[in-house]
This record gives sequence, structure tokens and C-alpha cells, in this order.
Amino acid sequence: MSDFDAAAARALDTSAARGAAYADVRFENARTERIEVRNGSVVTLADATSIGYGIRAFVDGVWGFAASADLSDAGIDAAAARAVEIAKAGATVNTRRFAQAPNERYVDAYRTPVVRDPADVPLGERVALLLDAERALHASPEVRVGRAWIDLWRTDKVFYSSTGSRIAQLLFQTGSGIAALAVGENDAQQRSFPGDIGLYQGGGWEIIEAAALTGNAQRIGEEATALLRAPQCPSGEFDVILGASQVSLQIHESCGHAAELDRIMGWEANFSGTSFLRPEDLGTLRYGSPQVTIIIDNTMPGGLATVGYDDEGARSVRSDIVRDGVLAGFEMSRDTARTIGRETNACVRAESWQFVPMIRMCNLNLLPGNVPFEGLFEDVAHGIYMESNRSWSIDDHRLNFQFGCQIGWEIKNGKRTRMLKNPTYAGVTPQFWNSCDAVADERSWVAWGTPNCGKGEPMQSGRTAQAAAPARFRKVSVGVGYDA
Amino acid sequence: MRSDEREALAQRILGFAGDAQAEVLVSDEDMGLTRFTHNAIHQNLASLDTSVRVRTIADGRTGVAATNDLSDAALRATVGRALEIAALAPRDDAFPGLGKNSQVPAPARAFIPATAEASPALRAQIAAGIIASAERSALWAAGYATTGRSGLTIANSSGTLVSFDGTTCALNVKQNGADSTGFAEQVANDVAELNGRLSGEVAAQKALTSAAPVAVDPGPWTVILEPAAFGELLSYLTDHFSAQSFDEGSSFLSDGLERSYAGENVTIADDFAHPLHAGMPFDFEGYPTRQLPLLAAGVARNVVTDSTWAKRLGRENTGHGLPAPSASGPEPRYLVMSGGPKSVEQLIEETPRGLLVTRFWYIRPVDQRRTIVTGMTRDGTFLIENGKIAGGVRNMRFNQSILEALRHAEFADRQYRSAGYSYSIVVPAVKIEGFRFTSSTAF
Repeated sequence: MSDFDAAAARALDTSAARGAAYADVRFENARTERIEVRNGSVVTLADATSIGYGIRAFVDGVWGFAASADLSDAGIDAAAARAVEIAKAGATVNTRRFAQAPNERYVDAYRTPVVRDPADVPLGERVALLLDAERALHASPEVRVGRAWIDLWRTDKVFYSSTGSRIAQLLFQTGSGIAALAVGENDAQQRSFPGDIGLYQGGGWEIIEAAALTGNAQRIGEEATALLRAPQCPSGEFDVILGASQVSLQIHESCGHAAELDRIMGWEANFSGTSFLRPEDLGTLRYGSPQVTIIIDNTMPGGLATVGYDDEGARSVRSDIVRDGVLAGFEMSRDTARTIGRETNACVRAESWQFVPMIRMCNLNLLPGNVPFEGLFEDVAHGIYMESNRSWSIDDHRLNFQFGCQIGWEIKNGKRTRMLKNPTYAGVTPQFWNSCDAVADERSWVAWGTPNCGKGEPMQSGRTAQAAAPARFRKVSVGVGYDA
Repeated sequence: MRSDEREALAQRILGFAGDAQAEVLVSDEDMGLTRFTHNAIHQNLASLDTSVRVRTIADGRTGVAATNDLSDAALRATVGRALEIAALAPRDDAFPGLGKNSQVPAPARAFIPATAEASPALRAQIAAGIIASAERSALWAAGYATTGRSGLTIANSSGTLVSFDGTTCALNVKQNGADSTGFAEQVANDVAELNGRLSGEVAAQKALTSAAPVAVDPGPWTVILEPAAFGELLSYLTDHFSAQSFDEGSSFLSDGLERSYAGENVTIADDFAHPLHAGMPFDFEGYPTRQLPLLAAGVARNVVTDSTWAKRLGRENTGHGLPAPSASGPEPRYLVMSGGPKSVEQLIEETPRGLLVTRFWYIRPVDQRRTIVTGMTRDGTFLIENGKIAGGVRNMRFNQSILEALRHAEFADRQYRSAGYSYSIVVPAVKIEGFRFTSSTAF
């Protein structure tokens, strides 16, 4: 792990000299590698490093943030001065204060457990894996586009604060996937694997191996092709079983974002929106059925968002968001948690050193149930099973949603029957989660990662996770949007 | 970093590549953003970075490496890494080669010094103007003011050397009442054009006028979409104009060019030089960007290309490449929709019953090939009755084919630059018949 002690001392000292009552500085040395194959060509084979730091200065009860890649003494002084100047500019406008300087101190280190460091895998081996997988996607001439990709992130970060914290972390995040686009007459159908965007987790090359891209590619290409001829998903009210990756997306959009306390407080009002949840709903609002328990677990092994400490220097914990269907908590930072009389649960992240840290959903998990996956089907007389997201939209209070999946199957008398194309479903968040009457057990439970969650201004792309198993929902509105 | 400094840096890095074909992109950005909610600034930030991207090609094999460490050692290592990657990459027989391009003059007013030099105090002042308008109307404001400058230099071993410096700024405001909200935005290159007080008042008026919103039934409606709403909707056609989507079959244009897809009043172009854009005149490979008609009087005329897709399809390189190689293919970055003969006030007056929509939210494709998208209204949706605004309505979800909407559209005269989705976009307001709402929400 890197050592920025001298630079950090300068940043904190200069911030104090300029008038900051508190300051922290987060240094990052990040390496990003991406390989993508498209129709037999390597269209991306890139390796990028970025090193820099972001300083938060707390002046007169107001925060300022400045980021820079200039590690010279002059550069650090300028960035620290800028952070203080920004805070002071805010202080001239604000007639009330709602922030406080932190007083915690942690000296610690964390490293993502890794079985096989991706750096030990020769580039030729990585490319060959993707070329093989992509080739296998072309199961028919109608598969016009095949794609296969690998993403690797290695982030070496150190957090320092004027209270004496020094937290060093080395994080490994890894993902891969394949996708096939089949094109017919005025129709194009996509299938992807694993899930809709691939399998993204915390860890090393073992995650790529677990994804088993090549072994599944032909099936994916065949399914994309078959979808061109499949009947349109019917419209109406049906019992619905969602595959695990779709449940993960459902959690992300309708719970994770809704439960961000900064959103509830209006901090995202002009962009991502607010929330239908309110602090006074804690402990009383029936968010979902008793089968629904959703927790934050930023300590979870293999979680894409698992860290030792968040980006304002708070230690990772587990905490309830929904317990047996009742709203129990929110994703919080120090400043937001204080407003509801709680302690932070360390959900603050920044995309990189360049960005101000803010609340993120991190690892947000629907706990598994006690029904085997096949058992979800047994009690369905007529329903639809859907897998892998294709479309997602929800209103700015996180209530009215409409999602579409890549593939569906009709369920009749407990059995999966004909394949269906373009399955969509819609609902209202609490009504939908209250219609959940079964969650599959841990044998189907996967820590699905979302590598590109957008939030904030300027927009940040966050890596979140939502572990989930398939789940069953009763009387869902299916088939919206297909007669436009 | 000044353009001459970036050019010197780029040339030095090319030198590290020896005899290999190489391309260097040096990009430099300095931006600040002041964000506020509940009438107080809650996130206030600035960021400064210069980064270098190196692409090397040897025997048709390409490698890319990037860094923001500008020390010679790091830059040499980055070039070395790109060469290593290239040596291990598969050969691409379709590689079109590196072009030789000379400097293209930037449009007037692409770079405004006052925007580049805008201070935290200036952004706070804009925010204060918005907050004051909120307080006058007993509302609370949320939004941001942002200013920034960016510079890009592209150099390659074939002799390309081009540079561009630009500034951008914007304000975004949502005014919040007890049961209604209103939105306004401004996007420009010149910070002197941003008027926090005025935009705050516009948004406040929307929030006040839409108070106590009523529910209306979903179904087909006559709608008038203000530029913020229409800009975001039209942004979802961006990919369709790419040669990659066109060729691969996922674009509505895959049925062919020189065919009519919409009415004669529909003209969409990509125009970096439009006064409201005043953007970069070359693409990310350094090729000059053409001002290109895409749909002219409803007829598809062009798709945008880069060097790869121009060679692949035997078409002209229109200069719309992203940093190469690009998995996304080429993209138009400066869409412009032409206006019509009537003002938006006339369009409203001529509407017996309809909806005025300020803004859309969370638009996503439902069926890419058929251009069907879904999304929600937000922040100021109004009932129009007998040519007048009759009050606010609760927000609704739509499912609508964009192409079908354009076939039943009438455009207002004045164009505005809106934030759009991936890129800012220049559009007028538009009246659309039969716009399909499929459900409503509780607010």
C-alpha cells in the first residue's frame, strides 16, 4: 500500500492554517483495466492509472472540497487553499448550519481478500478467454453482435484526517460478462450473462473463473436467436418469479436508492430525486412482506462494495434497512445520521479521488429465504418467470416503476413452458414488495454487483452490490409498454 | 495547461514511442460546482486534473494506456505499457491507420475567459440568487451552479496536431413547495448568461402554479414538451445515428438511408458550430467533424462515422469518433433539432386540451429498434384547457415510440440548449399529438 504521509501532513496543515477547523484528505492511486471483444475484434484493450487526492475542509460549519493531481508542495497548498475558499464561499450564503466536524480517529489497514491476483494472469490469457467466449456466442447467423468483456479495478487509497486517522486500503474489484444481440425483421433481442451486465464482485481473477463465460456462451447466443421467434409476453395481472439478478436490480432501484438518507433529506432533489420514505417511518412502515429482510453489509466477503472503511473514514458495519418487511434503517453518513439521532453506518463513497464523497447503497442484500428455487414454481398456476434486466425506470420518489427483462417463460401449473419475448412489469414499490411471498434459499443467492450506478452532481459512477436470490411476487402488472 | 503546453507535452510523449505508430491525447480539466438544497449550500467542490492517453499500433495490433502522472518516468512507462499491450493484442486487419489532420479553428465563443476564471464566490452568488427567489415565494430550492474549462490536444505519428479549449457552465434549479415542484435550467459557454434570480423565479412560478395537483387519466394526450423534456427525450435517438448501430441492426435507420422516417418538419443535424453549442470542431482521433444533416425534412441522410466505420462501410469519415478504439462506435455529440414557425405560446393557445410538460425523468429504452422508451414527468406538469394553463397535474409514466411521436409533432420557433442526457442538445419546444401515458404516480 502507498504512503502519502508527508503530502497528507502538508494538506492538513495548510487547510488548518487557512482556517479549517477540520480537514481530511483521501489519496488514491487507482489502476483500471478493461478488455472488450466485439464480433471477433478486440475493441478495447486499455490500462489506465490515475493518482490524486481530494481534500475536505470544514470552515464555519460548512464543507468545501477540492481535488487535484498535483502532488508538489505548491500543488497541495493550492488545493488546500481552494478547499477552504470553497467552504468560506458557502458560509457566506448559508444562514443555518447542519454539518459537524467528525471527531473519530482510526489507524488501520484493509485489503480485499484475493485468491488469484489478476496481475498474475498474462494479458494473452485474458484476451484468449474473451475471444473464445465471444466466438461461441455466434450460435446462429442472426447473432449480429457478440460482446465479451473483463473489467479490473485496483485501488490503493489512504485516508488521513486532522483528528489523526490514517486508514490504508487496497481494494480489488473484478467483473466480466458476455452479450449477444440477435437481429430479425424489425426486431432485435439481447441476451447477456451472468445476469444483465455481468458478474462483478470484490476479489481477484477467481471471479472471472466463477463466471464461466465460455461454458454459457452458446446457450446465450441460442436464446437470443430463439427470442426473435418467441411470442410476445402477454399483458395482464400475473404471478411473477424474478431471477436473482433481476431481484438485485429491483432492490437497487426501489429500496437502495429510496433508503439513501441524503435523498430523503432532499440533498439529491434536483437530480436523482427524493424518496417516499421519511425518518418517521422507521419502525412502522410496512415496506414489504415478512419474507423481505434487506440489510447493509459492507463487511460481506466478495461484495463489490466491501471495504474496511468508507470515504469519510467510518468503519464498515452491518445494519438493517428492512427487517421482516418493516422499515428499520437508512444508508447514512455522519451528518445525515445525526439528524435522526443515529450513528453512521459507513455508506459514504466517492467514485475516485476527484469526487466529493456521498452516500451510496454499498452492499445492500435481500437475505435468502427457505424455499428451493424450483419450489417457487410449484405454487404458481399461471405466471411469468423473467430473467436478466433490459430496461429500468422509476419515478423520482422511487414509487412508480417499470422494468423489462431480456427473456421470460410462461409458467403453467408449476411448470416452466414456452419462452416469451419482451417481458415487462410495473408496480408501486411498497405494494410490490408486500406482494413478495417467497424468496429462494441460499443455494441461489448471489452477490450481484452494479459497477455503474449513477448519482450526484457532477455525476459519479459508483460500484454497489445487491446480493439476492430469485423471488416470487403475486398479482403483478405485466406487459406494459408494448403497444406504443 | 495552455494549448501550447499540451502540444509540447504530446510531442514529447510521441518521441518516447520511437518508430511505432502512436497517438497521444492530452486532456486537461478544471471545474467547480456549487450544489444547494433547502436553501443552503450542501456540497461545494472543485477538481483539477490533466491526463494522457497513449495508443500505439504495431503490425495492426493496438494497445492503449493512460496516466495522469506527468513525470517523464511515468509517461515513458505508460508508452511502454501501451507497446506491451499492443504486442500481445490480436492483429486487426480492419485498422484504418492514423490520419494526418491539421488544426481546425474553433467556433466563436467556444472559450469564454470569464467562465474559465469563475470563482467559488461567483458560483455562490448564483446560488444565492436562486435561494433568494425561493425564499420570496416560501419555497425551498435545490440545484447547482457549475463552471469549468477543458482543453484537449491530439497528436499522432502521422503528423496530426490539433487543440481545442472550451468552457461550459450551467445552472439547474428545482423549487419545492408543499405538494408541487418546478424546474428551470440554463446551459451555456459564457457564465455571464447564467441568471440565478431569473431561473429561480421561472422555477418558482411553476411550483406555485402547479400547487394542489389533480390526477388525470393516463392514455393518449396532446402534450407540449418544453425544451428540457424534449431534449432529454430526443437524446435517446443519439445512438441510432451511429454507423455502428446502423450496420449492426439495432437502429431504426437500419432499414436504410434516403428513406422517409418522419414528417417534412423534422430536421435533425449534428452541428458543433451552432451558436448555442460552439463546441469542438474535431473528433477524438483528430479528424475534422462535419456539420451533418441526419434527418432532413424527415428523410434519413447520414449516419456518423469514425475512421474505423468509414473504412468498414466504404463511407466518408464524418469525424465523430470517440477515443479509439471505441467499443461504442462513433457518436453525434452536438444534436440540433430545427424549430417551426410558431411560438410556444401559440402552440399552447391552439390546444383545446393537453398537458404542458416541463421535464422528464429516468427515460430508458424499452424497445431499442422501435425507439420505444419509458419515463416519468416531473417538476412542473400542467393541464391545458381551452388554450390556457389550468393548474398542475400529478406526474405520469409514458411509454412512447420517439419516432412515432416525431410523426405527430409541431415544433416551436425558438431553440434552447438543454442538458440532454449524455451530451447537451439544442431543441425547441414541441407539441405532440397522441403521446401515450400508461400510469400515474402519487405526486
